[in-house]
Amino acid sequence: TGGHTTEILRLLSCLSESYSPRHYIFADSDKMSEAKIRSFEQKRAETFSNSQFTLDRIPRSREVRQSWTSSVVTTLYSILYSLPLTYKLKPDLVLCNGPGTCVPVCISALLLGLLGIKRAIIVYVESICRVETLSLSGKILYYFSDYFIVQWPDLKEKYPKSVYLGRIV
Amino acid sequence: FRFKESLAEDVRRADLVISHAGAGSCLETLEKGKPLVVVINEKLMNNHQLELAKQLHRDGHVLYCNCSTLVETLQSMDLSTLKPFPPGQPEKFALFLDKVVGFQ
Repeated sequence: TGGHTTEILRLLSCLSESYSPRHYIFADSDKMSEAKIRSFEQKRAETFSNSQFTLDRIPRSREVRQSWTSSVVTTLYSILYSLPLTYKLKPDLVLCNGPGTCVPVCISALLLGLLGIKRAIIVYVESICRVETLSLSGKILYYFSDYFIVQWPDLKEKYPKSVYLGRIV
Repeated sequence: FRFKESLAEDVRRADLVISHAGAGSCLETLEKGKPLVVVINEKLMNNHQLELAKQLHRDGHVLYCNCSTLVETLQSMDLSTLKPFPPGQPEKFALFLDKVVGFQ
């Protein structure tokens, strides 16, 4: 969604073309991210001739202020949807930055790894909005990601296994 | 307007930006060197928007308030106290990721 998309595109801005093809996954209810992504990739294609990317939508895991119990149900539904998608894409690297959408995808990637099908490196970058507390996605994925990056020193102190690189967006 | 493709042009032409505390809005505005007054939306769960606004305010980059104190803030503000906002460094992330993934 909005802010997350802007942030993740900034994270991608300095990556070399070795990070290719790029598969973007976002919520079906998200109206604006597709345009932002296409615009980013269009600009990128001006510099890198063989730029490849795909776009996929999955059901949104959770709405803002959605109750706990119904969130578990909708997240499970999103996992059912994202598992075959992740299996199809078999990513080497999963990069995410916090929308609820990323949890089912990361869980799917973890499952694929556990089943010996494909082991992906999971890198989570907490949003720059998070100065003192982690998002719900962050609290979950702190334990399940390979690298967990925070952008403010307070969080590095609270979550010692995290990586602090300063502000990266 | 409801939603525009991009507010970049509006921000460029503005002398002052009043915005919600969304990261994109704050960063876009600060990076263009415009003075920013951030208004907090108290209805969102956990109100994590407040964290960024508070930190940016602590660092002297923005003024912040909520809907009910906006008018008072606009009337009494001194924009010369705001400090310039250095850009983030995605290149540091790229370097880190290259190491992690094995592209040296």
